[in-house]
Parts: sequence; C-alpha cells; structure tokens
Amino acid sequence: MAIEILRDLRGLRVEVMHPPDADGVSLIEHLQRIGCVATSIWPIQSVAAPAPDLIVLAVDHDTRDPLKQLCRSTQAAPPTVIAVVGYENPSTLQLVLEIGAHAVIERPIHPFGLLTQLVVARSLWLQQQENNAKTQKLERKLAGLQRLHRARLILMTNQKLSEDEAYKTIRRHAMTNRVALEDAATAIIHAHERVRQLARD
Amino acid sequence: MSLAGRDPWRFGVLFSQSGVTSAVERTQLQATILACETINRDGGLLGRPVELVTYDGRSEPPTFQKLAQRLLTEDNVRLIFGCYMSSTRKAVLPIVEACRGLLMYPTLYEGFEYSPNCIYTGSAPNQNSLPLACYLFKHYGPRVLFIGSDYVYPHESNRIMADLVRQAGGGVVGERYVPLNAQVDDFASTIRDIGHLRPNVIFSTIVGRATARFYEAYYAAGFDSGTMPIASLTTSEAEVAEMTPQAACGHISAAPFFSVLRTPAAMEFVTAFRARFGSEATVSAAAEAAYFQFGLVCQAIGKVGTDAPDLVRLALSGLEFEAPQGRVAIDAANNHTFLWPRVAKLDASGRFEIVWDPGVRVRPDPYCIDQDLDSWPAPAAQLVAMQV
Repeated sequence: MAIEILRDLRGLRVEVMHPPDADGVSLIEHLQRIGCVATSIWPIQSVAAPAPDLIVLAVDHDTRDPLKQLCRSTQAAPPTVIAVVGYENPSTLQLVLEIGAHAVIERPIHPFGLLTQLVVARSLWLQQQENNAKTQKLERKLAGLQRLHRARLILMTNQKLSEDEAYKTIRRHAMTNRVALEDAATAIIHAHERVRQLARD
Repeated sequence: MSLAGRDPWRFGVLFSQSGVTSAVERTQLQATILACETINRDGGLLGRPVELVTYDGRSEPPTFQKLAQRLLTEDNVRLIFGCYMSSTRKAVLPIVEACRGLLMYPTLYEGFEYSPNCIYTGSAPNQNSLPLACYLFKHYGPRVLFIGSDYVYPHESNRIMADLVRQAGGGVVGERYVPLNAQVDDFASTIRDIGHLRPNVIFSTIVGRATARFYEAYYAAGFDSGTMPIASLTTSEAEVAEMTPQAACGHISAAPFFSVLRTPAAMEFVTAFRARFGSEATVSAAAEAAYFQFGLVCQAIGKVGTDAPDLVRLALSGLEFEAPQGRVAIDAANNHTFLWPRVAKLDASGRFEIVWDPGVRVRPDPYCIDQDLDSWPAPAAQLVAMQV
C-alpha cells in the first residue's frame, strides 16, 4: 500500500500556493527531492488545466476568500489538498475543514514529516475517490431497485398479477426493447403516470 | 609554521568504541583521527589547529543523543562527525537540528531521509543494493534468502532487494530477523532453512558482531560459498576481521571502497592508516567515508573561513573532492554524495578481491522507490559485460 503511494509520488504534479519566503522555498525543494514535479503560484488563484494532482495551500485569515473561491472552482474534480498552517485558532481550523484538507503541515516547514503527510493525504484522497465512486454506483443501484419495486406494484395492482408474474413482465419488456431492467421499470412508471394524468384531465 | 598557541577549531566526534557495532565504528573513529592529524601536520586549517572532542556512543541510541547534546551545548562544538546505525543517527539528528549544528554521517543507510543539518557521505540504496543485485543475479541466480538484524536498516534494505529479486524473475525464499546482538544459537533455524531451501544467494543485513557468528555458523554447516554465497552491504573489512578466513572465503560485499583498491589515492590512504594504527588495522568503506568527509569539511571551512554550520553546508553543496575511492561530490539537491559502487569477493585468506568495478560515479537518489535493474545508470547488462 505505502509502496504504491510512494511510487505515485514520483512525478506527481504538485502546485504550491504559498508565499515565496523561506518556508515556501523549503517546501518546493523538499517536494522536488522526494520526486514530485512541484511548481508554485502566489497569490492563491484558480488553477489552469490540466489541474494538478495535489495542491499545497497556505491557510491564513488573509487568504480565506481566494481559498474558498479556489475550492469552488475545483469542486467537480477536487485534487488532494494539504494545508500549511501557522496558527491553530478556531477560525484557521474552520478554514482547514472548509478547503477539505487531507493533511496539514505546520510552519516553520521541516523536511522531516512532509513525506508522511504526502502519503497520508494521497491515501485518504484515493479512498475518498473510491468511496465516492462506490457511493454513486450504490445510489444508482438503489434508485433502480426502487423503480423496479414501484413498477412491479403498479402491474400487480392494475393488471392483477402476482409478484412473480409482474417481475417476469418487466423483464420481458426489457428484453424485447433491449434496455436495462431499471429502464423498463421507468417506462412502466411513466406510462402509468401518463394514464393517471389523462384520467384526471 | 607552528600551530601551538593558536586558538583551535573544535569538532565533535561521536562513534561507538564499545557495543555491537564498535568494530566498524572504531575504523570510522580512526579514519577521522587520521584525517585530523593530516590536516594539523600540513599546517592546520586556515593556520589554526584542529582539535577533536571525542565520545563513545556505546552503540546505544540514548547515549548518542545525550552525547550529541553535550557536544553542542556544553562543549560548544558546531560540527559533529559520527554515527553508524540508523537508530543512532535518528537519535542525534533532532538535537543537531535544534542546536543548528551539522552532522557529517559517513555510513551507508536505507535512504528516505533529508535533513538540512546532515550531510550523508555513505551509500544510498541506489548506489549499493542495485549494483550488488546486478552482480548476484548474473553470477548466482535470483532465488534469495534474507537474514538481517532486527532494526530499521535491514527491513528497508530487504524491501528494496525483494523488489529487485522480483524484477529479475526470482523469488525471496525466506526472510528472517535476529536480535542485534545475535548469538550462534539464534542462527540455528535459519541455517536449517538454508539447507532445505537451497537459495542461490543469502542476502545478509546483519550488522556488527553477529556478522562473524553467522558466517561461522554457515561455514560449520558445510555450505559451499562458491555456489551459494552470503552477500552483504554491511560485511566490511571490520566484520571480516572478526571471523576466520575459511568462514569468510567466497562471500560477496558491495561498497564504494575496499581496502584492496589499487588506485594511488586508495593505496596512499590505506598505507597512512596502517602506518598510524598498525599493520593489522582494518580499513573499511565506512572508514574511507569518515576520512574523506573530514577533508570535505575542512575544504568547505577553508572557503568560508568559519565553522558556522549554515555557511559550511552551503560551501559543501556541490563540492567535489578527491577521495580514496575516486572523485566524490556532494549533491546540492539532497545532501547525499556521488559515489563509485564496487563489488568484491572474499578470498581464501579473508581478503576482499574486487570482482566488479563498473567505473561509474553514481548520483545519490535517497527517495528512489523503483530501483530499476535496467537503468542503473546505464543498462545493467552492459555494465556486467564491462567486467574483466
């Protein structure tokens, strides 16, 4: 696990949004030493395509607005985020949570520990990606099942079919029309709603 | 020019003169003393003598830590030359960083470290594991059994070697760890396994005194080092000196320096070392690194005129130096050193014989994950072909 993530760090595109002071320079140097392809921009701004794999963000009260803007702009495909903090006060911590940081490093920057934070951040990010994909798939699946269930109830009530016969009817419909079971169910629900609408009109 | 009465430079020296790894660390201490005496004999450093403040770390990380603290706070030295085991370096570094000192570390280690307060003059894995693997797979085969002392270096070193074994299409037939101060009995089950499993090579990351005990046990079991050698990165002249020549014969080590190297610079170093510490004194790669890193530091101080660690480090970045092994240089990007990897085999009298000297200076890559058999630093096959 750790090895795959470490391997992935070699050549990882990292954008560092940190003032170009001693800490900023030390960050870039150590990222390069580790093998990342690190570049820096300051002040904080939207990232140009292709989006970097990981963004290191200086989190300060002064930067809260551009930070929030940046996060909105990457919402569709959020990169891994590491926050750099100089304070641990509640408003800084609030910002750290709002930008969805996967790891935090503190100032002054110290080479030892950065690799660990990179590995933890990438691991969490990968898990998050996997979980998101899984959740989306499950949501689609669940919605499909709900439609199937509803279509079956419609057929059972209106056509006086047994549960099993209703299911077979939907399946036959799907096979004849060469569509997914869930889509066949949707067609039945739509037809039913259309009929109800007509009856009401 | 007399140096007497002049305010001396004072450097800290921290090696183990007792404990499990004292044999090799003593060679590092001697090399440091030799380098210092040479500087003083030749007129000192910027006209001032160099004085060493030396302590015995006793092969114990807490002792190393305490002594580093004493050197930097009570003795007011700013540069420390020392450490062999990674565990002792890890104990010393936080202190050196907090006191803004500089540690010169003359030992091979497992990589994955960078401190702005440390210069690493021993091999990183891409400079020794890779050439050793190339040699072993070509001459013996890729079925390997691992045995190591149970601490950080062997585990990491074995992980790297396992990766290379897989690349060569071989297999790791076993992986065993023994205590740091392992006794003969601790090797019994491994010796039994070697008898059953018959690997092509035993890769040993045992360090210190236990090394000789393992080689002796191996010899006593009647195994043939000609067809199934022990290969190691940590078996140097110092460990070999603690075993009988029969037990040593036929086994393989990789390092950037061996005391039998026939270049004028290497021979001059070994001759001076033995003239100072006796004709039987053992000289190892770790000692050679201790020797040249002292020269490097003096050259850097000569440039900046101070031993302020920040300035010394800056002067060391990219600095080239004629070391006994060849011309070395500090890589400004990572504070590690460009070195000359070599592979040697022990002969019947327990002396190393260089069996592969590819003649390339290899850049250190301490954060290297994928050691690639085919790109080191030219294709390995080509390098093996260069062998005489």
